[in-house]
Amino acid sequence: MKQTTVGGNRRKIINALMMAGLIVIFIAYMFPFVMVVINSLKQKRDIIKSPFSWLFTIKGLSFDNFVKAFTQMDFLNAFKNSLIVTISATALVTLLAAMLAYYIVRHKNWISNMTFALMVASMIIPFQAIMIPLVSIYGGTLNILNHRLTLIFMHTGFSMAMSVFMFHGFLNGNIPIALEEAAYIDGCTHSQTFFKIVFPLLKPIISTMVILNALAFWNDFLLPSLVLTDKKLLTLPLSTYSFYGTYSADYGTIMAGLLLCVIPILVLYMALQKQIINGVVAGAVK
Amino acid sequence: MKRKALAHVCLGLSLALLSSSLTGCTFGFASDPDDPDEEVREEPIDTSVDTFQYDPSLDGTSITLLNSKAEIQVALEKMSAEYESRSGVHVEVMPVTDGDSPYTKVVSLYNSGNPPTMSILDTTDVIALAEEKAADLTEELWTAEADGYLTEVNGKIYSFPLCIEGRGIIYNRAVIEETLGEPFDPASITTLSDFNRLLDRLAASGMERPLSLAKEDWSLGAHQLQYIYETYNGTSEGAQEVIGQIKAGQLDLNTYPRMNEFLDAFDLLRSYNVSLKDPLGADYDEMAIDLADGKTAFWFNGNWAWPNLSEAGAENEDAYGFLPYFLNDDPNDFANQKIQASPSKQVMLDGQMASDKEQAAAKEFLNWIVYSEIGQQMLVKTCNIIPPFQNNPYEPGDPLSRDIYIKVHNDEAFNASAIVPNDHWAVLGAAMQKYLAGRSDRQELIDSIRAYWDEQE
Amino acid sequence: MKSKSNGKDFCTFALPGLFCFLAVVIVPFLYGVYLTLTDWNGVSNDKNFVGLKNFAGVIRDTQFWSSLLLTFRYVIFVVIIVNVIAFAIAWLLTRGIRGQNFFRAGFFTPNLIGGIVLGYIWQFVFSRVFVSIGDSTGWGAFEASWLSDPAKAFAALVIVSVWQLSGYMILIYVAGFMGLSEDVLEAASIDGASGFIKLKNIIMPLMMSSVTICLFLTLSRAFMVYDVNLSLTAGAPYGTTEMAAMHVYEKAFTSRQFGVGQAEALVLFIITACISGLQVYLTKKKEVEA
Repeated sequence: MKQTTVGGNRRKIINALMMAGLIVIFIAYMFPFVMVVINSLKQKRDIIKSPFSWLFTIKGLSFDNFVKAFTQMDFLNAFKNSLIVTISATALVTLLAAMLAYYIVRHKNWISNMTFALMVASMIIPFQAIMIPLVSIYGGTLNILNHRLTLIFMHTGFSMAMSVFMFHGFLNGNIPIALEEAAYIDGCTHSQTFFKIVFPLLKPIISTMVILNALAFWNDFLLPSLVLTDKKLLTLPLSTYSFYGTYSADYGTIMAGLLLCVIPILVLYMALQKQIINGVVAGAVK
Repeated sequence: MKRKALAHVCLGLSLALLSSSLTGCTFGFASDPDDPDEEVREEPIDTSVDTFQYDPSLDGTSITLLNSKAEIQVALEKMSAEYESRSGVHVEVMPVTDGDSPYTKVVSLYNSGNPPTMSILDTTDVIALAEEKAADLTEELWTAEADGYLTEVNGKIYSFPLCIEGRGIIYNRAVIEETLGEPFDPASITTLSDFNRLLDRLAASGMERPLSLAKEDWSLGAHQLQYIYETYNGTSEGAQEVIGQIKAGQLDLNTYPRMNEFLDAFDLLRSYNVSLKDPLGADYDEMAIDLADGKTAFWFNGNWAWPNLSEAGAENEDAYGFLPYFLNDDPNDFANQKIQASPSKQVMLDGQMASDKEQAAAKEFLNWIVYSEIGQQMLVKTCNIIPPFQNNPYEPGDPLSRDIYIKVHNDEAFNASAIVPNDHWAVLGAAMQKYLAGRSDRQELIDSIRAYWDEQE
Repeated sequence: MKSKSNGKDFCTFALPGLFCFLAVVIVPFLYGVYLTLTDWNGVSNDKNFVGLKNFAGVIRDTQFWSSLLLTFRYVIFVVIIVNVIAFAIAWLLTRGIRGQNFFRAGFFTPNLIGGIVLGYIWQFVFSRVFVSIGDSTGWGAFEASWLSDPAKAFAALVIVSVWQLSGYMILIYVAGFMGLSEDVLEAASIDGASGFIKLKNIIMPLMMSSVTICLFLTLSRAFMVYDVNLSLTAGAPYGTTEMAAMHVYEKAFTSRQFGVGQAEALVLFIITACISGLQVYLTKKKEVEA
C-alpha cells in the first residue's frame, strides 16, 4: 500500500517533468510562427531594427500589411484558384492512390511488384531533375500548359507515389482479408467490395493523406510557377511574388500574405484533427 | 471538440505573444521616433502631348514582357496599361520571382513552347541566348540614340538597353557635415589617401566605423571584384582584353597593378566596416537604415539602392551622391575621377516563336519608350530609371540616379562592362566573402581567381 | 480474386493512378536521363549525342563531391535527431495528457509554411533576432550571426530541417502508437516492466513499420534538401553549406552546364536510392523478425 503511494508520487513528478519538457519544446516550435504573427503587424523599419519587440515600436501596430497583401494578391481570386486546384487534386489522388494501393496489396503479381518498387524509387527523384523535361514535354510537345486541369493532373501524378506508399502500409497492417472474403460470398463485385467495405475502413489514413496532400498542393510554389503564367489562374503562393524585390523584400507584407495563405489550411487541419482521431479510435475498437 | 482546440490555439498564441512582448523591453532597440513617413512619392506624368504615331493595324495584339527587375514590376504594369490605352496593344508583364533566376525562367518558358515576346535580362543572358532565339534589332531607329550603350554579338544588335546603372561609394553629405562640423565637398576627395584621411577624421569625431559593406556575393563578386577588369582602361573592350589575357594565362594577377590596387582599396573599406565584428552577418536593409539615420556616412552600392534608402526615410531633396572607388594616390588616374556607369538590364525580343505581328507590336512598344513624350516620362519618372537614350530630356528624380545622370553627361563616368561567365559572381563572390571575413589572405584570393579562370574553356 | 478478372481489376483499380504517375514522373525522368547523354544546353534547338562525356564532367567536378560529403553529414544528423525527437514527442502525445490535441496541432504548424518562406523566416531569426538577443544579454553564442560561421551555419541548417521535418514524422508516429492495442501496453505495465524494457521489447517491435516509413521519408527528404538550403544560407558563408541538390541546380542553371547538372542529379538519385533501399531492407527485416 505504502509502496503504491510512493510510486504514484514518483509518477506524478515524472509526468510533471515530461509536461514541462513538452511545453519548452513546444514553445521552441512555435517561436518562428509567433515571429511571423508579430512582425506581420509592424512596419519594415521596426521589423529590421527591432524584430523581437512588440509594444515598443515607433509606428505601433496596424493591419496595413494585411490590407496591402489582400489587395495586391487579388486574394479572393487567388483563393478561389487555390481552392479549386487543391480540392480537385486532393480528391483525385486520394481515390486513385487508394485503389492502386489496394490492387498492389491484393494482387501479388509482377506488375504490382514492379509498380510498387518503381513508385518507392521515384520518391527520391529530385524535382529539379525532371523540371525541364517536364515542361518541354507538356508545353513544347503537347502544348497544354496554362490550364488548371494540367496542374491538377501533375499534382496528382507527383503525389501518387507517396500516397500509394502510405495506403499500402496501412492496408497491409490494418485491413483483414476475411471481411472482403465474406463480401464476395455475399455476391459483391470487386468494385462494390472496395467502395463499401474497404474504403470506409481506410478513414484514418485517408484523413492523414488528405491533410498532407492538401497542404502540399496549397503551399506549392515551384510546380504551379512552371505550369501557370496566366494571371487569372494564379494560386495563392504565386500571387505573393510582388512582395519580393531583387535586392530586398517587403517583409511585413510577406508575413501578412503568408498568414492569409495559412489560415484556411489551419482551419482545415483543426477540423480534420477530430476525424483523424475518431477514425483511429473506431479502427481500434473494431 | 473543434472549438475547444481552436480556443487552445488562441490561448497559446496570445500567451506566446505576451511573453515575447515582455521580453521586448529587454531585447528591442529603441527606434527613432521622428521617422518620416515612408510613402514613396510618385512624380506626376504629363499626358497632354502625344505625337507618337501608333500603327492602327496592331490594335488588339497581345504580347508578353518577362520582367527580371522586380522593383519596377508595378511601374511596368502602369506603363503597359498607359501604352495599351493609346495603341490597343496589350502588354502582359510577367515577373521572375525570387528563388528563380531570370535565365532559368526564360529557359523553362522556351521549353514550354510559350516564350515571352520580350524579356528583360542581364547582359550575359542576352549573349547566351541572342543568336539562337532573339530577333535582330540592328536596323531599329533607336540604336542611333543609344550610342555607346549597345551590346553587339558578332556585329549584330539583339537587345534594347533599358537602363544605365552606376555604382561607387554612396555618401550622405548631411551626416558628414554634421559629424565634422564643416562643409563637405565630394570633389575635394581625389585619391585613396584623401579618402583614408576623411574616414580617420570621421572616426576621430565619434563615428567610429563610418562605412557599410554588403556581404552579398553579387555585391562582392560582381560589383567590387569586377573593378579589376573594368578599370584596365575604362572601356568594355579593355575589360574583354584583360579577361582574355587572364584566361590565356598571359597576365600574372600577383603583379597586375589593378589587382593589388583593388585589394588595397578593399582593405581600407573593410577596416572601416560598420559590422567589422561580424562582416558576414551584415544586413542589407539595415545598411540603408544606418545610412539614412546617420549611423554611417558611406555605403558601397549603386543607384538601385534608392528604394531602400527612401523606405528608410531619405528624401529626394537630401544630398546623397557617389564617390569613385578610389584605387590609388594618383589624382589623374581615371579610376579616381570617374564612377562606373553602364547599361545593365537589356530587353531581348523573341525572334523564334513570336509572330510577325507580335514582333511588330513589341518593336512599337520599344519605340514608344524611346520616342513618345509619355514613354520617355514614364521610363524616367514612373520606373525611376536612368535612360541610355540621348533624346530623353527628363532628369531622374532621386539624388542617386540624378548624380549618376549628371556624371554621365559631364564625362565623370566611365562605361565599361566586363562580360564574365554567369557563375563568376557566385564562385568568386564566395572567395571574396572568405577574404572579407578575414578567413583567407590575398594570396588565397588571387589563387581562387586564377583557378576560376583556368577552369573556363 | 486472382482468377480471370485480373485484367479488368487492373484496368479499374490500378491503371488510372498508374497512368498519372508514369506520365508525370517517369516519362520526364527517362527523357531527362536521355538528355544526360546529349550536349543539349537547355535552350538550343539541336541535341547531339555525346555518350558519357557529361559523366566525365561529374567526376571532374570536385565541388560536387565535397557537397555530397557535406550532404552525408547533414543526412546523418537530421535523420537521427528528427526520428528521436518525433518518436519521443509522439509517445508523450499518446499518453492521454491534457491538451494533447492542441499540442499535436501545434507541432504540425511548421508544415503549414512553404519551404522558401520558412527559410527566410529562420534566416531572419538567426541573423536578426538571435543577434539582438546576444547584444542585450551578452551571450557569446549569439554575439555574431550563426549564418556567418561555417560550422554554426551548418548547425542552423540541421536545426531548421529538424524543426520542419519532425512535425510530419510526429503525425506518422502518433498514428502508429494509436494503432497499438491498449491491451498490449497495459499488460506490459501491470507485469511491472519498467519504461525502458517496455519500450525495447514490446513497443519498438510493434512500431517498426512506422519507423521504416519515417526513416525512409527523412532519408530521402534530407538527401534532396533544396528549398531550405537556398533560402536559409544559399550556400553561405563562402559556399561552405552548399548541399548536393543545390549544387546540381547551380551547375545546371548558374554555371550553365545543363548536361553535367542533369547527370549529377542522376548520380544523386542513384546514391539516395541505394541508401534508402538498404535502409528499407534492413528495417523491414526487423519487422518480420518482430
